[in-house]
Amino acid sequence: MFNRLSIIIGGPQGAGLETSAQILTYSLAYLRYGVISDREYFSNIKGRHSYVHFNISSEQIPTSLTYPVQLIAALDHETVFTHFDSLEEGGVITYDVFTEEKTLDTTPSMEEDLKIRLRKIFKELGIDGSIKSLVRYISEDKKIHSVPLNYSEIINEAAKKLVLPASQAARYVSSIIIGAVSGLTNVKKKAIEYSLARRFYDRPELAQQNKVIVETVYDKVVREHGPILELAPSKLNHREMMIVSGNDIVAMAKTVGGVRFQSYYPITPAADESFTIESYEKLEVDGLEIGSILVLQTEDEIAAITSAIGAALTGARASTSTSGPGFSLMVEGLGWAGMNEAPVVITYYQRGGPSTGLPTRGSQSDLLFTLYASHGEFPRIVLASGDHLEAFYDAIEAFNLAERYQTPVIHLLDKFLANSIVTLPVPDLSNINIDRGLIIHNGGADYKRFNLSTTISPRAFIGSNCIMWYTGDEHNELGHIDEDPENREKMYRKRMEKIKIADEEIPEEKRLTYYGPEDADVLLVGWGFVKGVALDALKTLAVKGIRTAYLHIRMFSPFPSKSVEKLLERFDKSKVITVEHNYLAQAGKAILINTGVRITKEVVKYTGRPIYLNELVDGVLKILKGEDRVVLTYGP
Amino acid sequence: MARKPSDYQSDIWNDWCPGCGDFGIVAAMYRAFSELDLPPEKTVIVSGIGCSGKTPHFVKVNGVHTLHGRAIPFATGIKLANPELTVIVNGGDGDLLGIGVGHFVALGRRNIDLTIILHNNTVYGLTKGQASPTLRRGLRPKALPKPNIQDAVNPVSLALASGFTFVARGYSMMTEHLKELIKEAIQHKGAALIDVLQPCVTYDNIHTVEYYKKRVYKLEDTGWNPKVEKIEEKEEKIVKAWMKSQEYDDKIPIGVFYQDPHTPSFEERIKERIPSYLETPPARQKIEREGKTIIDSEAFRKIFSYYIVETE
Repeated sequence: MFNRLSIIIGGPQGAGLETSAQILTYSLAYLRYGVISDREYFSNIKGRHSYVHFNISSEQIPTSLTYPVQLIAALDHETVFTHFDSLEEGGVITYDVFTEEKTLDTTPSMEEDLKIRLRKIFKELGIDGSIKSLVRYISEDKKIHSVPLNYSEIINEAAKKLVLPASQAARYVSSIIIGAVSGLTNVKKKAIEYSLARRFYDRPELAQQNKVIVETVYDKVVREHGPILELAPSKLNHREMMIVSGNDIVAMAKTVGGVRFQSYYPITPAADESFTIESYEKLEVDGLEIGSILVLQTEDEIAAITSAIGAALTGARASTSTSGPGFSLMVEGLGWAGMNEAPVVITYYQRGGPSTGLPTRGSQSDLLFTLYASHGEFPRIVLASGDHLEAFYDAIEAFNLAERYQTPVIHLLDKFLANSIVTLPVPDLSNINIDRGLIIHNGGADYKRFNLSTTISPRAFIGSNCIMWYTGDEHNELGHIDEDPENREKMYRKRMEKIKIADEEIPEEKRLTYYGPEDADVLLVGWGFVKGVALDALKTLAVKGIRTAYLHIRMFSPFPSKSVEKLLERFDKSKVITVEHNYLAQAGKAILINTGVRITKEVVKYTGRPIYLNELVDGVLKILKGEDRVVLTYGP
Repeated sequence: MARKPSDYQSDIWNDWCPGCGDFGIVAAMYRAFSELDLPPEKTVIVSGIGCSGKTPHFVKVNGVHTLHGRAIPFATGIKLANPELTVIVNGGDGDLLGIGVGHFVALGRRNIDLTIILHNNTVYGLTKGQASPTLRRGLRPKALPKPNIQDAVNPVSLALASGFTFVARGYSMMTEHLKELIKEAIQHKGAALIDVLQPCVTYDNIHTVEYYKKRVYKLEDTGWNPKVEKIEEKEEKIVKAWMKSQEYDDKIPIGVFYQDPHTPSFEERIKERIPSYLETPPARQKIEREGKTIIDSEAFRKIFSYYIVETE
């Protein structure tokens, strides 16, 4: 029995794989397993290869993904070609017998680069390159257990049982994957039934039809192969689990945090957040409306940020959500918000750049961009969340900080987080505060929006009982254009000093977290989605006798300089390693700028795929052997 | 006592060139605001960049002087977050029809209750007289090194094509007429455009006061009825208005070209989905209770039950 399993399910985009992944995740959560899964896909609607990589545990909620995997469930032959190499010795592959004669030449959807690499491998192995030859090879050489299934037979059989035309039953082909995975891992049928009913709550006939296919496959697999990868019963005892993507959890957090205006322009991987908020536009509890949120799809990202700023000026908590290309367009608006001390929140899901880059793949290459974006100088707060739970609290805190310091807040996330689905305990809401900052409801006739008697001026809303002016020009206390040098100096300093106040008020321990033994020898430094894999790496490295700690940076502006400097001093320079999803090791640069301490060792990855536990551990070991820089590339 | 036009005049010295057509626009605004008795604290002027961008500073109502081309989306956020506000955009031809034309079109699609006053002088004044999107091909106002080789966009035609439900043209030297247009536009429930012909006395030696004096005539003097009385008339009226908008050489019509009171405003469309929207719009909702979120754990579980799995 397995306490931990890594699984890949793969197939063409648009064939229902996401639904299968969802149902499997519901089922595993129902049985109290901890799950994290990452979805990898092309910028494509139908036909290109996509896959979901799961890490399942009966002992904890896993925080990282790793290779090799114990099971590959392939909806098509491209999945077998793309992933066969990721299987652990003794692992299991399930695939459609109908595809056995397929070769790379009959797989047009596959990228040529991979085909070239595979042709070379097949030649070296002396196999003809058909699925059949490949499966035979891995069965013999890597002791892989193959579970061939006849997909069309299964569909026809189900069609007969359901009295449906085969063409209609064929639409549920991805349920074969559910049946195979659950049978092989001994996920109870009851759990699958629960999940199907949940997924198709509004269309029970679909639940029923899919169930027939799942059970047919389940029984067949168990009968012919047994539950080879049986999961040990879960030791976790949650009575309830949330199943959320990063987009979902941020959407929920924003509603809790009081967002009332959210604008967006469609972009991967941010748009799902806005869709989720829109589906909760009326916040109802027991049939009573407790609030509502206006979600506006704008004509471009420029309108997204400027309309959000406009809403913020009237007193609504306002945010927009985007990715790199969208943020590039928002930059001028960001500067206006900085100049006008407007509290606006920008939720920024990084993806691979530059330009369109890798639109559906992950990256953390926009840190320095967000820290310095827009011309001129003005304060901004930059938060970066490491996992779903951090994202939840940070998304709420972003509004508090924006209003308290009357400044734009950028909440940095990434595609890895956006699209990875995890099981999560329901967050504790008891400690969540709503801080609206210095607000004046009765500004009256003498109101001055940019009153210089305090660094942070009391903010009245447009529409309250006073009038005010805003301008992107340098302005006086009233908000009228003013180019006088003395006024300029005062206003400029007033704006800039807000970040000093924020730096004094926000405890540094909220801006970073140190994980691991106090007397560790090795320090990993990272941010964002690196957190999960770094934490798991600490454990793996500890087993190897390497006492490792992880410094997680959660706020880059204002930067927790004192703590970072003090921490870094404790370590031998050759054993401090930044771990990042970018080429430049940008957090390392931010540390250098803020503390003067240069980190010389780096493990980076910029293929667009997440950093996996296995490769991170290898990378750290290489650094400890003397390398300065390791570039990770694992993952198809 | 009703507010006087001078009550809307700010203390800021107006630094437009002496004789600038924009003076006529602010004068008409002061008078229109006074006749409508708009409460300054519930009124907002939003502008972009350029000479017209300074407009909010000269008016004693809320003023938001934004980015080049972006007055409309800023105004969109302000209006939708607090629909009780009267929001008026002042923008130049370069601002609204050049760099910001995408927002102009999008506003038509939404039909938000905003009034757009287009300061149309065919040049970029503040950067010293370059050709604006409303300058016709072949013309060469004095600052241009060579005649213009780009065609002009027709603001009235574009507004009609975009879905604006109130489309008018005014002339800055006829402030009484312009004031009436502004009043009508503000009272109209939906996206309203007033294309204001406004001579740039410094850089446009073609479209001068004399030029317009010879050409401008009032639509209403010809018996023109811009109003879509019944929704069935919409197509016929819009076609007529569009054809009329093409008249721009020897004679230039001013007045209301088109008015459709039937197409629902964006605010009404939102209300269809969120019935409480107008009573408690985004800006007027309470989001905390003694510093705590109004969504407590119990409410959270109820709202987001879809995401929560009760385990076996």
